[in-house]
Amino acid sequence: MKIKNAVICAAGLGSRLGLDTPKCLVKLGKHRLIYYLLDILKDVENVRIVVGFKEEEVIAYVKNIREDVVFVRNPDYSTTSNSYSLYLGSHDLDEPFISIDGDMIIDHDNFKNFVDAIDVNEDLIAVTKAKTEDAVFAKVNETNFITEFSRKPISKYEWSGVAYFANFKVSKNGKYVYQEIEPNLPVKAVEMECWEIDTPGDLDLVMNEVSHIF
Amino acid sequence: MKTAFCFDLDGTVTKQEILPLISKEVELHEEISLLTQLTLDGLIAFQTSFKLRVKLLSTIPISKVAEVVDKVILDENIVKFIHENKENCFIVTGNLDVWVKNIIETKLQCKFYSSVAEFQGDQLTGITKVLDKAHAIKEIRKDYDRIIAIGDSMNDCSMFQKADIGIAYGGTHNPVNSLVKLSNFVTFDAQSLTRTLQNYK
Repeated sequence: MKIKNAVICAAGLGSRLGLDTPKCLVKLGKHRLIYYLLDILKDVENVRIVVGFKEEEVIAYVKNIREDVVFVRNPDYSTTSNSYSLYLGSHDLDEPFISIDGDMIIDHDNFKNFVDAIDVNEDLIAVTKAKTEDAVFAKVNETNFITEFSRKPISKYEWSGVAYFANFKVSKNGKYVYQEIEPNLPVKAVEMECWEIDTPGDLDLVMNEVSHIF
Repeated sequence: MKTAFCFDLDGTVTKQEILPLISKEVELHEEISLLTQLTLDGLIAFQTSFKLRVKLLSTIPISKVAEVVDKVILDENIVKFIHENKENCFIVTGNLDVWVKNIIETKLQCKFYSSVAEFQGDQLTGITKVLDKAHAIKEIRKDYDRIIAIGDSMNDCSMFQKADIGIAYGGTHNPVNSLVKLSNFVTFDAQSLTRTLQNYK
């Protein structure tokens, strides 16, 4: 596998989903969400998971699936951002890494396309067709570079939550991950079909649209 | 930045707890194992339990114990890391100097802090000092900018509190929850542990 490192951010409360469980432990079909992420990352040598909310449960579940995961703790998960979790999970890595939100669903083919599109020395951002309620839109130019992010619908694509970071570090005090990418634009983009589970509606959508994964 | 790597010994660098192994020599295996488990779980304070366990094992000649300890299985990934970085690696163990000195000096070849035994010839007569791991870290800090502590049990908590980075390592058994709460990283795999340590060299 040309990608050696992956960081999954799974520290948050997931309050919009309204379940008293971390989003990465939501049951989808036979397994819990993070099982499917670990499955697409099974050839990646170094998988890190940033944990916070109900960390014991996440650690206990994951360790039975894959024993060599490194858990990075974010005890301040309730007052810090996803970007801070990504900082914790990646600041000491001196190699490129893939970053994935711990509430995402991606199938093998889509993930393979993303990995195939990676040039190891170049940053790469996955964009997806805009469908979430609070999308961060990504304007992509004709040479497939993202030139702008916006909360306004300036594009049919949105930032997916999956990226390959080769040339820059995530800062400690950032709020959103896309804002960490912003100063480095333009950055190469690739389209990827993926789903994010933020609300009960998202959960229904995933169960209907991508049941083949489960 | 000069970094010190401070490893707990029993159950971290060794794949077995040492005291239960020694206890097989005096047919107190079950009793010592129980005490060890209660200590690991944080139900008995390390200091009390250690003194009691040493008392139970004190009839065994020191040389015999050293012989047993020499056969303890070490984690090869961690040993390799220590060998490659022996200048900056330390064993910080509550175990007794007379019991573990030989295995550390011959197989790990790094510096160490331990509890100190009182003895006459080949006979253990008592304990001069039970190591406070926080104290060891304070000493090590004099020469280092950053301290990374690696351990699994209750008696590693004070070491984690004084260190800059704590890695709770569940190579032999799950790290105790109180230690996990003081840690930055948690891992159950030796290769993942040493891979993480490499980032801080």
